[in-house]
Amino acid sequence: MLEKSNNKILAVKDLDVSYQKLRILFQVSMDVKEGDVAVVVGRNGAGKTTLFRTIAGFLGQDGGSIHYKGQDIGMLRAYEVAQLGLKYIQQDKHVFSDLSVQENLELGSYATKDYNWDSVLDYFPQLKNIMDRKGGHLSGGERQMLLIAMSLLGNPGLVLMDEPTEGLAPHVINDLIQAFTKIREKTTLVIIEQNLPLTAEVADRVYAMKEGKIVAEFNEKQAIQNLEFEAHL
Amino acid sequence: MTRLIKASYGPLVLVFFFLMARYIFPNKMTFIIELAIFSIYVMGNNILYGYLGMVSFGQPFYLGVGAYATAIYLAHIGANPLIGMLLSLAMGLVVGLILGPAFIRLRGDYFALINAATCAIGMFTIEKLLLPITRGDDGLWYRSRMSQIPFLDIRMPDKFFVFALAIFLIVLILYNFMDKSALGVSFRAIKDNENKMKFLGYDTFKIRWIGFSLASILSALAGSLYAINFGFVNPSLAEPHRAAEVLVATLIGGAGTVFGPFFGTLAFLGIKDLVSRYIAHWELAVGILTLLVLFRFSKGIWGNTEAIINEKIGRKKNRTMEKLLTDKAAT
Repeated sequence: MLEKSNNKILAVKDLDVSYQKLRILFQVSMDVKEGDVAVVVGRNGAGKTTLFRTIAGFLGQDGGSIHYKGQDIGMLRAYEVAQLGLKYIQQDKHVFSDLSVQENLELGSYATKDYNWDSVLDYFPQLKNIMDRKGGHLSGGERQMLLIAMSLLGNPGLVLMDEPTEGLAPHVINDLIQAFTKIREKTTLVIIEQNLPLTAEVADRVYAMKEGKIVAEFNEKQAIQNLEFEAHL
Repeated sequence: MTRLIKASYGPLVLVFFFLMARYIFPNKMTFIIELAIFSIYVMGNNILYGYLGMVSFGQPFYLGVGAYATAIYLAHIGANPLIGMLLSLAMGLVVGLILGPAFIRLRGDYFALINAATCAIGMFTIEKLLLPITRGDDGLWYRSRMSQIPFLDIRMPDKFFVFALAIFLIVLILYNFMDKSALGVSFRAIKDNENKMKFLGYDTFKIRWIGFSLASILSALAGSLYAINFGFVNPSLAEPHRAAEVLVATLIGGAGTVFGPFFGTLAFLGIKDLVSRYIAHWELAVGILTLLVLFRFSKGIWGNTEAIINEKIGRKKNRTMEKLLTDKAAT
């Protein structure tokens, strides 16, 4: 069980990011504590995905700093960031379509040398019945579960999830929420989410983003459950 | 070790058919030898094109590197073909390691064209710059200088047949092993979605570099075997316009599959052998087959066969499962 602590697992400070000459993020700062579930909310184009892609090492930064477990990861490449235990699950729900569920999981294992699948399959028992099925033949929910399972191999310290429930059926979203409550016992989660009731249910901390800036931050459970962040979107 | 043994089943069956063919068609030994060697060449290209999704228009260059490494050794330095072959493997590795980091940074058509350019430069080097060593268009002759290797006089065509088949078997077993290994899965995953691999923690540049070097080594090995088989090498082996041959064979056989290179080679060389008896432009038949594969059977000969086999196995499994469930319900 991951105890909540005051230790900052992720510290983003004054982050500026541009696509060529177009500035996308302006002085973004956020702190995520170990054991927290932090949710980033905001309208389309607010810069949420850009923030995640920058933290994950896929985009360069113009200014500011990103520290993971006290280490500056701003200059690291994506695979180096992942090797440190900071995983990023993209929005596209793309698994390796020509590989079976088992082979997809094996890829997660080869990278982390963690071959203990029981722990991750406990979150998503549905996957046990479709181990031979090709990734291209999975439903959206199954793909999302597989992606999360792959990213959890190697016990990452932090997982960034970009809109994990987007386009999924309500019962699948419920399954995912159940899984999140178990996963958060072992790792810290930072999630981009447009589904506000879900955000209210799982979040310990909410960051509202607008036009490339963090415009509000909430860490009071009551305020989050009252959806007070909605006014800032 | 168990995985290596399992990986040898398919290749052993294939080699058994090679041996059968040798005795059923005794006058086709030259064709069967070329089938084994060209298959190794196509296997190299298959790593690039089939597994990693990188099309190269310069594979004859890597074939030429291997052929000339062996030929230059045998013509000027020593007489042992095995040492010549080891030199070719080393040259393939060195070329892969040196050119790889520069070339694999390029994608798509740029990667294809830089290889084509390298092939043209290689051709010029062989024909003009290294003329005193390679003897340009006249080529290098060294059959009489070659010594026999322990237990096998591979200067004799029937003995070379055994030697080439043994090399083919070893390469195919290792290739099958690689296909099922972390490396093979990583190759295919990179072709599918490289960014996803990076987010999982893979250094994809390094993996593509390994793939490029393996392709270079296999091409060099095939070149070396050609050099030993013919006892003669000239620049026509590495001509840039021959780049299409290996690509077409890869495509026809089934890109990204273990046995595709063999079946692609069989189809390509088979058409060349059969059709050229009747019409001069045998390439026409290859062209028609290529179009057929592109439009109707995109997985190639082995890719489609494998899909049919898997479907049949799947249906059989389902029928067995249904029967079990029915029996269980009845009891």
